[in-house]
Amino acid sequence: MNKYLDDLFLYPKAWVDDDALGFAATARAWAEKEILANRLEYQQGYDTLFIEKRKKLILDIGFERLVLPEEHGGYGWNKPSSAPGILTVFTEIGRGDEAIAFMAALKYAVFAIMTMKPNIDTALLGELAPLYFADALKNVALILPGPGLDGENTALFAGRSVPVALKASQDGYTLSGKGLRPLGPGFNADLFGVVCGDKDGHACLAFVPADAKGVKKGAPLKMTGLNACRNTDITFDKVKIPKGYLINREGVITELYAWLNLLLGGTSIGGAMNFFEILTNWAENRTIKGKDIMKENPLCASVLATVAEEIAHARLMAYSMAHIMAQPEAWGGVGGTGVFTFAQMLGSRIQQACLNALNKGMELMGSAGYAKEWHVEKHWRDIKTIQSWLCGVGADVPVKMDIARYFYDCKEV
Amino acid sequence: MKHFDEFSLPLEQVSPMEKHIRKVLRTWADNDCIPFRRQYDEDWKDHKIIEPAFQKLMVDLGFQKAMFPQELGGWGIGHSDYVFRIAYALSEEVGRADTAIAVAFLVTIWPLTTILVEPHVNWRLAREFAPWYVNAKHPVFSALTMTEPQGGADIENMGLLGGKTLRTTARLDGDEWVVNGHKLWPTNSAGVSKLFGVPCTTKPGSHDKNDFAIIFIPTDLPGVSEGNPYEKAGMAADKNSDIWFDNVRVPAWYRAHGPGLDAQTFAEIIPWGQVASIGFMTGAMLNLYERLYEFVSTRTYRNRLLKENDAVAGVIGRIAGDIDICRILGYEAACIGDRRNKAYGKPIHDEEVIGKIRNIKDFVSDKTVENFGRAMDVLGAYGADREWDIEKHWRDVKIIQLWMGGKQLCQMEAARYFFNCTSI
Repeated sequence: MNKYLDDLFLYPKAWVDDDALGFAATARAWAEKEILANRLEYQQGYDTLFIEKRKKLILDIGFERLVLPEEHGGYGWNKPSSAPGILTVFTEIGRGDEAIAFMAALKYAVFAIMTMKPNIDTALLGELAPLYFADALKNVALILPGPGLDGENTALFAGRSVPVALKASQDGYTLSGKGLRPLGPGFNADLFGVVCGDKDGHACLAFVPADAKGVKKGAPLKMTGLNACRNTDITFDKVKIPKGYLINREGVITELYAWLNLLLGGTSIGGAMNFFEILTNWAENRTIKGKDIMKENPLCASVLATVAEEIAHARLMAYSMAHIMAQPEAWGGVGGTGVFTFAQMLGSRIQQACLNALNKGMELMGSAGYAKEWHVEKHWRDIKTIQSWLCGVGADVPVKMDIARYFYDCKEV
Repeated sequence: MKHFDEFSLPLEQVSPMEKHIRKVLRTWADNDCIPFRRQYDEDWKDHKIIEPAFQKLMVDLGFQKAMFPQELGGWGIGHSDYVFRIAYALSEEVGRADTAIAVAFLVTIWPLTTILVEPHVNWRLAREFAPWYVNAKHPVFSALTMTEPQGGADIENMGLLGGKTLRTTARLDGDEWVVNGHKLWPTNSAGVSKLFGVPCTTKPGSHDKNDFAIIFIPTDLPGVSEGNPYEKAGMAADKNSDIWFDNVRVPAWYRAHGPGLDAQTFAEIIPWGQVASIGFMTGAMLNLYERLYEFVSTRTYRNRLLKENDAVAGVIGRIAGDIDICRILGYEAACIGDRRNKAYGKPIHDEEVIGKIRNIKDFVSDKTVENFGRAMDVLGAYGADREWDIEKHWRDVKIIQLWMGGKQLCQMEAARYFFNCTSI
C-alpha cells in the first residue's frame, strides 16, 4: 500500500477544522510510536503496557481534556460543531487500541452531557472536573438501560429496562439496583454515569462516585475483548448522591446515546482501518494456487474489495452522523428524537460494517487471522465486544424499534 | 421442544451404538469439561486444567483406542459401516463442551484413518502403532501435518495442484525414508503428539499423484523439532506450532500405502476432516441453544420475556431453525462418508464427492459463525461475558471456518464442479 489511509478512505475533510486535524495528527503519532511500532511487545505485555500508553495519551498529551470548556482547563471543544473533529481524533486512537479509545469515549460521552453548549452545568462541572481530570487516570463506567429480569417491572427507556431506581430524599437522591452490568471498566471505575428511573418512570442520568457508601463491586469478569477494561457487576445499596449530581432535563439519555454511537463508531472504524493495513500487507505478500499473488486473484480481490467497502461506508456514515450532531437545531438538539434515531441507526450499521470487514478479511488470512501474532484477532474481539455491548439486549431489535417509532409513529413497540 | 436432543436426527440412519456413545460423552461433557471450560483460555500453554478432561475422555473412557481393530485391543470402529456417523456423533458431543478438545481428540484419529479404516487397513502399521494408544495410561495424541509456509493449505487442493506445491520431501535411502521439510499449524503439535502423519512428495514439483506420500513419523526421532505453541483467539485446548524435519529417517514401511494409494487415502481423509468440523460446529450450536434458551427465558425487553417479543422471537427462531438445518446437513455429509464406495455413484476420494462434503462444511461454517454472532447480540451487554459461554464458542467456531483451506477453496471447488470451470 502506498497511500495514507485518509487519502484512500475519502471523507468530508471540510467538516473537520484545523485544530482537530492537528490533534488527530498528534493522536496518529502517538498510535504509531507507542503502539503500532511496538506491536508485538505491546500485545505480549498488554495488561501492564496498556496503562503506560494510556497515561501518555491522556496525561501527557491531554486528550481527555478535549471535552472540557477552557475555563475548566479544557481545550474548548465543548460545542456540538466539534463533533466531526472529535470523530476524527477517536478514529486515530481506535486505530492504535480500541480499549483506550473505548474508555475515553465513555468518559467523553458522560461529561459531554454537562459540558456541551448550550447545556453547560457549571456547578456540577466545577465539582467533578477537578476530581476526574486530575493528574492520575480516572475511569468512568456507564450503567445503561438493557435487559430486565423476569418478574421485575422496571422503568423503561425506549423499551429497555432501567434497573436502577431513584428516590428523592431531603438532601439529594438515593439509588438502588442489584446485579447491574456496567458498560466499560466497572471494576476499575472511579465514577459511574447511571441511567436511573424516578418514581414516574422517567429516565434520567445520575453521577455516582465509585467510593460512595453502598456501591458494591463484584469480581472482575472475563470478556471477549477490550481485556484491559476490567468490568464487573455492581450493586447500589441505597447509595446517596447530592441533588446536583442528577441531570433530568428532557433528552439527556438520548443525547448520551448519540455521543456513544459517534465516538464508539470512530473507535471501531479506527480498528478496522488498522486491520485494512495489515490485510493489505498480507494480500501483497502471499500466493495462492502455488503462483498467484493473493490480491491479483479475482475471488480474493472481491473479498478485499468488500473489506474496503465496509470500512469506507462506515466512515462516511460516521461523518454524516457527526455532521447531523454538529448542527442539530433543525432536529431538536443532540438529544432530539431525530438525532437519537439517526445515531442509533447509523451507529448500529457502523459497528456491523466494521465487524463484517474483519470477518471477511480474516477469511483470506486463514490461521494468521486468529493467531495473536498477526494482531488481527484483537481488533476482531474488541470490535465485537463494542458492537454487542451497544446492542444492549435482543440483538438489533431495540434499535429497529427506535427506528420504527420515529418513522412510523409506532406507539406500542 | 423439550430438549436439544430433539433437533432433527435421522434415527433410521444412526448406528445402534450411537445412543450409548452419546450418553457416555454427554456425562463426560457435563461432569469433566463444561464445569471447567471457562478457565481453559488462560491454560493455553500449560494444559494443567485441560489435561484431566483429555485423560478421562481418551484413556479412562478409552476413546483413543476406538478406531483400532478389536484384534489389536481396539473397539474396531474403523471396520464399522457407521464409522463416519459415529465420528460425527463424537465430534458433536465433545464439540458441545469444547470444540478444541474435540479437534485435538479427533485429529489423533485422523491420520490413522488412512491405515485403520476399511478397505485400506495397513495391518503391519496398525500392529506397530496400536500398542501406543491401546495400552497407554495417558492420552496419546497424533497429528496430520498438512500446512506449509509458502502456500498455506494449498496442499489440500489436490484436485487442482496434485501436490506440486509440497516442499516437504521424502527420499528413499535403502530401506529408509529420509524426510526434510517445514510444516505449520497442525493440531496437536508443539510437543503434544507421539506420532505425525506427514503428507510429502517423493519428487518435488511433481503433480503426479504417484509421487505423493503419507509417511508416519514418531515425534521422538532425531531430526524432528517443534516450536512453542502459538497463542490464538480461542481453542486453547488445541496446541499448534511449527514443525521441522531435518533428515528424519523412518523405515520404508512407515509409508501409509504406496504410490497412488497414498494420494487416494489422503483424498479420503479430507471428508473426515470436513465431517468432523461440521460435528464440532453443530455440537457448539447445541450448546448455544441451551445457553440462549436460558437467557431469553429469564431476561426481558419491555418487561416481557425476550422470547415472547415477536421481533426477538424472529431472531432466535431463525437461529434455532439454522441449527436444525445444519444438523440435517451434517448427518447427510456423514452418510456420504459411510457410503464411501458409492456415494452419489462416485467413490469418496472423487473430487466431486469431496467437493460436495466441503460445500456442506462451508455452508454450516457460515451459518455457525453468523448464529454465534447473532446470539451474542441477543445477549447484548452479556454477549461478551465468558460466563455465558457463547463468546467462547464464537471465538472457536471462527477458527473452524478458516481451517482446512478456508472459504475461498470451498467456493472454487464448488464453482469448478457446478459450472465446469476449467481454468480457476
